[in-house]
Amino acid sequence: MVNRNAAEKALNLIRSRLCNPNFIFRPLCDSPDSNYSKLKFIVSSSVTEACNNSVLLLGPRGTGKVAVLELVLEDLLLEYPDMITLSGGVVFQIRLNGLLHSDDNSALKEIARQLCVEHQLVFSKMASFDDNSEFMIAMLRECGLAHKTVVFVLDEFDLFTQGKQRLLYALLDAMQSVTSQAVFIGVSCRLDADQLLEKRVKSRFSHRKLLFLPPSEEEIYRLLDHVLSLPVDSNLPHDYAMEFNAKLHSMFSDERFRQIIDSFMNFSPTVRHLVKFLFRAVSDMDLKLSNLSFENFKSAISSLQRQPKMECLRDCSILELYILVCMKRLEVKEQNSYSFSAVMKEYKSIHDSFQTSDYYSQDVCLRAFEHILQRGLVCFADGRGRIQSTEFRPVKLLISFAELSQGLKAHHLCPAILQKLAA
Amino acid sequence: MLGWFLQKRKMGKDEVPLITRRTTRSSSATAISTKNNVVESTTSTNICSPSPIDLLYGGEPIDLDVLLSNFPGRHPQIRELLQILGPLNAPMLPVFVYGGPSTGKTGILLQLFRHLNRPFVYSSCRTCYSPRILFESVLNQLSYHQKNSTNGYSSVKRCEKPSDFVNFLREALVGIVKSLKENRRKSKSSKKLERSIDGNMVYLIFDKLELVKDWDKSSTILPLLFNLDSMLNIPEVGLIFISSTPPDTFYSSMGYIEPIPLYFPTYNEDDLRQILVRNQANPKLYSSFLDVVLRPFCRITRRLDELSAVFSPLFIEYCKPLNDLAIVPNEDLKRKLFSNLQPHISLFLNETFRVLSQSSLGAERTKDGEPRGSKSKVGTCEDSDELDFHMSTSAKYLLISAFLASRNPATLDASFFDSRGGSADGRKRRRKPSEMAKGQKEAEEQELLSKGPGSFPLERLLAIFQCITSVAEDSLGEEVQEEDSLEVEGQNNPLMSDVLLQLSTLCNANFIVKGGTCPLEGSTRYRSVVSEDLALKVAKSVKFPLAKYVYRR
Amino acid sequence: MKMAASAPSRVEPSSDQENGDNSLQIQQPFFLLHKAAPDKSDRKPSRRRITSSPPSPNKPGAAKSVDDDYSGDHSHEHLRMEAFQHAWSDVEATIEGVLRSIDSGTFEAIYSWISESFSIIRTHVSSGFSEISRSFPAAVESVSRRLFTGLVLTKNMELFDDLRTFEELGRFLRSHGCHVANLSSLDFLAKNGIGGCITSLLRQFLAASVDAPDMLTLSSWYNDQVNNDTPIILIIDDLERCCGSVLSDFILLLSEWVMKIPVVLIIGVATTPDRLRSIIQSEALQCLCPFKFNLGTLAERMDAVVEAILVKQCPGFFISHKVAVFMRNHFANHGGTMSSFIRALKIACVQHFSMEPFSFVLRGLIEEDIQRSKQGLLPKAIYNCASNISPCDRNKMDEEAVQKLVPEIIQLKRLHFLWSIVVLCLYEAGKYDKLHLLDLLCEALDPEVYASRVPGSFTQETRHTKASSPNDCFTHQHNFTMRKGGFISRAMRKVRDLAESHLLSLLKKWERHTADISEIHEKVKELQHMLKFEDCQQLKKDSMEIAKIHGLQSKSNLGRVTKRVNDKAASFLAYLIEKYMQPIECVPFHEIVCFKNVKKLQMALVGDSRRRIQVDLLESHKILSCSCCRNNNILLPSMHDTSIMYSSCQEHGDLVNLHDWYHSFKRILLFPNSKRRHKLKQSPLSKKQKFTDDSEKLSEVAIQSRFCRGVTELQIAGLLRMQSKRRPDFVQRVAFGL
Repeated sequence: MVNRNAAEKALNLIRSRLCNPNFIFRPLCDSPDSNYSKLKFIVSSSVTEACNNSVLLLGPRGTGKVAVLELVLEDLLLEYPDMITLSGGVVFQIRLNGLLHSDDNSALKEIARQLCVEHQLVFSKMASFDDNSEFMIAMLRECGLAHKTVVFVLDEFDLFTQGKQRLLYALLDAMQSVTSQAVFIGVSCRLDADQLLEKRVKSRFSHRKLLFLPPSEEEIYRLLDHVLSLPVDSNLPHDYAMEFNAKLHSMFSDERFRQIIDSFMNFSPTVRHLVKFLFRAVSDMDLKLSNLSFENFKSAISSLQRQPKMECLRDCSILELYILVCMKRLEVKEQNSYSFSAVMKEYKSIHDSFQTSDYYSQDVCLRAFEHILQRGLVCFADGRGRIQSTEFRPVKLLISFAELSQGLKAHHLCPAILQKLAA
Repeated sequence: MLGWFLQKRKMGKDEVPLITRRTTRSSSATAISTKNNVVESTTSTNICSPSPIDLLYGGEPIDLDVLLSNFPGRHPQIRELLQILGPLNAPMLPVFVYGGPSTGKTGILLQLFRHLNRPFVYSSCRTCYSPRILFESVLNQLSYHQKNSTNGYSSVKRCEKPSDFVNFLREALVGIVKSLKENRRKSKSSKKLERSIDGNMVYLIFDKLELVKDWDKSSTILPLLFNLDSMLNIPEVGLIFISSTPPDTFYSSMGYIEPIPLYFPTYNEDDLRQILVRNQANPKLYSSFLDVVLRPFCRITRRLDELSAVFSPLFIEYCKPLNDLAIVPNEDLKRKLFSNLQPHISLFLNETFRVLSQSSLGAERTKDGEPRGSKSKVGTCEDSDELDFHMSTSAKYLLISAFLASRNPATLDASFFDSRGGSADGRKRRRKPSEMAKGQKEAEEQELLSKGPGSFPLERLLAIFQCITSVAEDSLGEEVQEEDSLEVEGQNNPLMSDVLLQLSTLCNANFIVKGGTCPLEGSTRYRSVVSEDLALKVAKSVKFPLAKYVYRR
Repeated sequence: MKMAASAPSRVEPSSDQENGDNSLQIQQPFFLLHKAAPDKSDRKPSRRRITSSPPSPNKPGAAKSVDDDYSGDHSHEHLRMEAFQHAWSDVEATIEGVLRSIDSGTFEAIYSWISESFSIIRTHVSSGFSEISRSFPAAVESVSRRLFTGLVLTKNMELFDDLRTFEELGRFLRSHGCHVANLSSLDFLAKNGIGGCITSLLRQFLAASVDAPDMLTLSSWYNDQVNNDTPIILIIDDLERCCGSVLSDFILLLSEWVMKIPVVLIIGVATTPDRLRSIIQSEALQCLCPFKFNLGTLAERMDAVVEAILVKQCPGFFISHKVAVFMRNHFANHGGTMSSFIRALKIACVQHFSMEPFSFVLRGLIEEDIQRSKQGLLPKAIYNCASNISPCDRNKMDEEAVQKLVPEIIQLKRLHFLWSIVVLCLYEAGKYDKLHLLDLLCEALDPEVYASRVPGSFTQETRHTKASSPNDCFTHQHNFTMRKGGFISRAMRKVRDLAESHLLSLLKKWERHTADISEIHEKVKELQHMLKFEDCQQLKKDSMEIAKIHGLQSKSNLGRVTKRVNDKAASFLAYLIEKYMQPIECVPFHEIVCFKNVKKLQMALVGDSRRRIQVDLLESHKILSCSCCRNNNILLPSMHDTSIMYSSCQEHGDLVNLHDWYHSFKRILLFPNSKRRHKLKQSPLSKKQKFTDDSEKLSEVAIQSRFCRGVTELQIAGLLRMQSKRRPDFVQRVAFGL
């Protein structure tokens, strides 16, 4: 029983670790040539030499761009304890997200708002774009005078480049002209993000890019160890932690485990996916068994590696399978565009030639057809909003023939005739 | 404005203590209407005395076994959900629960939260049919706000932009988590018997997420929802998405970290049997009934709601010969029951819904139920041979001509209508040599198959209409004489006069659809969407030989 | 309009009927051109159907009654009007009553169904705790989430009548305490989406527009209500016009909430319930638990109204055979709505009262049944009415004229009463054959049929002799064998082969109808007795019964004594028809009551204005027969600009090039003598220099302005449509079928 709630504590601990990216990425930071140290160098230089900097953090999703940035900032706050200025540290960040503030007005509003919050000013929603930009520039200047570094973090950077890029221009231009110390950090998962910039913006942008890559294998093992192993000196019972870690390491050395990790690496290499995987594995840790077992990881990877189309096919009823097969046959016949009525025709011809047992009225077939529409196995080939009734709109399959035949095989009570027809 | 601005830079520079600065600021900013949101929202969350308790499911927490017994065939999913939600105060990554309609996703989640007795916020994207309403409903629930007549049915705060939503949401969540933690501390310190909340996690449930794909703002809303936790990053918040379509249908160009998928498969036959039998008066009888019907119907659909909707009247049919429904059927009784159920089964198999009529509550079929669906559409006339709603004669002819116009290729009008010389001047300029109709045919067939009934300009419709009516003159002989006696110069067709009004009527009744405008001349094109049997009925009602004119392939 | 009407009648002083309205219909298009169709005649209800601007009824009538002086016309104008008001008001009242009585049964049925389905909903609701205020759905299984839906079949494609019906249904349900909202197809537009219908819902219930309308608002409103133990009824008028996707979304939404908000849906279906399947997606269809109600079909309504107005209650005016036939055909071909028929009736009524010289005397006739006791008052009343007619009439009708008018009027009324009784009997018989009263009426009104039936003249018909000679009987016998196709004969045949029980009920109905006329009444009685005794076949009793009814038949065919009662009834019916069914047109002085002028009615109803406009534009010289533009196939500058332009744009196709058109117009104005064929082979530059030299005749500017005015007039008349911006230099002819 003691064991059990010890296990529960451990579980909670690991889960909270997994949900906290800063913790995850800590071990990847210590090497001197890591992105962490580069970024830290950039920011700290602008803090110390009071200069402006701009950098792009590029890399696929889940490679911890934002997390590393967070680490850098909080470490800087620790390193340069606040001596001169008012609230907050020498560094304070203004976060924007391309999803939320993609249009320039709202972005500038948001900047002004965060500045106001930072300096306990009253933020006015009424202020126009120009007011806000003026205000921002003024604040930048003030901060420059007060030797405070403003870090602009633009998440989903590529979304900011969609419009007229007035915001980017305003920011970068301010950083050119005004004597301030600001760091402009764009975070994007598009590796060509800097190509999206207009000329006037690009010219003001220092083309520093930090590329974030998925972890290598030994990094992954370091992460595993870092995340999963319990701290020996904590409120957890000591011997429990010891044996837990021992089991863990024995499992790491296990060959099957390594296979699992390899297969995992093959389909989704980034750290976030790893976290998901670990979360899944940890979350079905058996509390009575009180430590992680190999089966946990096995089930986790099986539950993460899904084939939605296959599942949909498995859910289909026989009639729906018939309709899918009819559509497949139509597509094999290179009918460039066909509608439900054509499918009905095919269905009927199949029935006439083979005398199948399931031949149903058109209404029922239409209902089944709408079901597979909802499932996303089929879609309309034309744009939405046509007045025409469904049975005349052109449709197309969304699954490959191979998937279809495989699904038919997998389907437990699929009639043999159907597989023959699909072949 | 300039003063405002100067004041700002002044306050940037000198270090007056905060209070005075705020006072000066606010005094200068009296003109500015909307006051600081942070303050008011936090107050609103704190003031509302009905603390997070009414984010609980309500009612008594149910036991896990009850939950499991309530949802037969769903035990693995329930266990998985429990593991993902984790023990008390365990933070979680977002979950994506998906599976076909009526597979118990929503029900299980809600009951699970009832069992766990943890606070959650539920908002279904069907009820909240637009981003604004979705945002506001979430915020309302988080701030325990009820729309009612006193507050003019308004929500706690107006929120349309995603950015506002995220800000408000963060404030509200922080407030709630704080209050949760402190009243946990309270309950720890003083063991009161009043219902307490387990854990300091708050869960946001977004149901029917697949509907968001159809919103016009979907390209921004979906990534927002999926990235919500990384934006908020409050570890005490759990996100749960429920959708009836698999995650890959939500793929967006910018991509996102998919939440943890959790799959609810459609019930298989045994599960369905268990579920359907579950609360029946006479399980034995019902299971014998299911032995008969379940397999054939599962070949059509395995959706629980549809099956139960079909079975409820069918079971009544099944029980008709029985005098007491508590009977436990033996074999031959089963056989007897099955034998007189047989016809009904094939009938119910082929219809999607039935209309009960008020005169005789006996269910009565509304459309062709016979298994030869598309082939014997014509045969469906026999159940109601004459038209069962009123149309004026000219409307009937117009309907027929529209049907012809969209069924026949335009090139064949000449060959169809020349034999009887209608005054088809409108059609003459459109007439082509009819040997090229040969080449037309295949293309025509393709066109008909692919995009259904063809469209036609108004002039063609009227030309055909004139021909038809001139053909059908004899059928309404006396009318013609009647109205000929009153001279209307020009053509002598009584039906012709108000034809445009009739056309508009037909358009309203959705028999003729006003199609897109033809690119060449600006005139709108029409298309008739009447089914063939209806057209035949109409033709029969005016004794018009429709079959002679329809172009058959 | 007044000017319009009066002007022509000045032009030709002897304005008899033809010229009167002829000139009117001539004038019309120009009014349409100049002031877009001012519809002054406010008596005519302006329904959704755009009738051509009708001839203002009163004027030509005046011109007919009072020849070419207008003072007297105005003097008793108001008499005519109030006579009309008086007559029409009670007609309208009866129509209202009839229609309501038709619908009421269905309404009751609907209400009872609503209440029971509401109780079912309530049983489903888990009464544990209030999920109602919460956002998540109640934990119930899918069966109880179904939505009770009443499909009200208005068996008529034309929606117009039924809008009123649905409003009344809403009122009826409100009176029973339900919360009712009437939604129409305008709330289910694709562009508004589901927000639109919820908005209008909330607007109707909350009586205040909320921003961000959603169902939660509605539910909280419903819970605030004091009487929230009554369902919420949503009435959707017209299924066919709704946008299918929005409607199905709405249904799905409702079915999610039906546990918290007990909603019962009522959908008006104009055509057939199958249309639901084609309009609503199957998933939404799944949520419905449909239930079918039939409103009275259009035919039933027609029969009931015709019976009430034209047969039973004589509203002081009546329609002749031709008018009846025209109305029937118009109804069958174009009308398709009750309201159009009623409107036709009303127009007829107006025109009758405003045309007929003695028509307003009828007010006396209407009140006559009250005054029947003291006969003296009637002539006085009539005379009083007549005395303030302009003198030209008075010398025509003096005391003795009135005196001899009175009995005639009474006689007329009596004959019409008898006629109506016979028609009713026929109709009762015809009901078994699904005959429509209107058809019967048309045949019963036909004077030719009557003449053929009775070779004799009116005078011998009008007096009623109990003893009818055998040859009469023969004639009517072979008459009916002769006219096979007729509805009357069908009714007779039906009577012949009618099942006994039906016959009994039929006789009962006859008895009810003929209650007032004693001699017919007792015969019906005897027939009933006969039917009673038919089982025990006593031949002689039987035969003497026959002898008692009409000896002639027993005399004529003594051989077949065992004659079934059906035949007796049939021959009795035939006898009635011969005796009493005398069309109103065969009665002297029927002009006073009977409206015969089909042409006016047709003009008003089947205006067919577009054709008339075109025709008048094309040959305007025929209409305004002026000296200047005589020769008809050449366009002269003296003609009206619009007609010149319209006839000159005839040789273009559907698309008219503005430039060419303008030049042809210009040429016509400048060279009256130039024939059309010139301008075809002229090149633009040759035009150019031509116009430059003779521009002093008519300034370019003036021509252009006239041209523009002409174009706008044609546009107003609806003959032209400006093209899209794709081809700015073209206009499109939207006139066709000429």
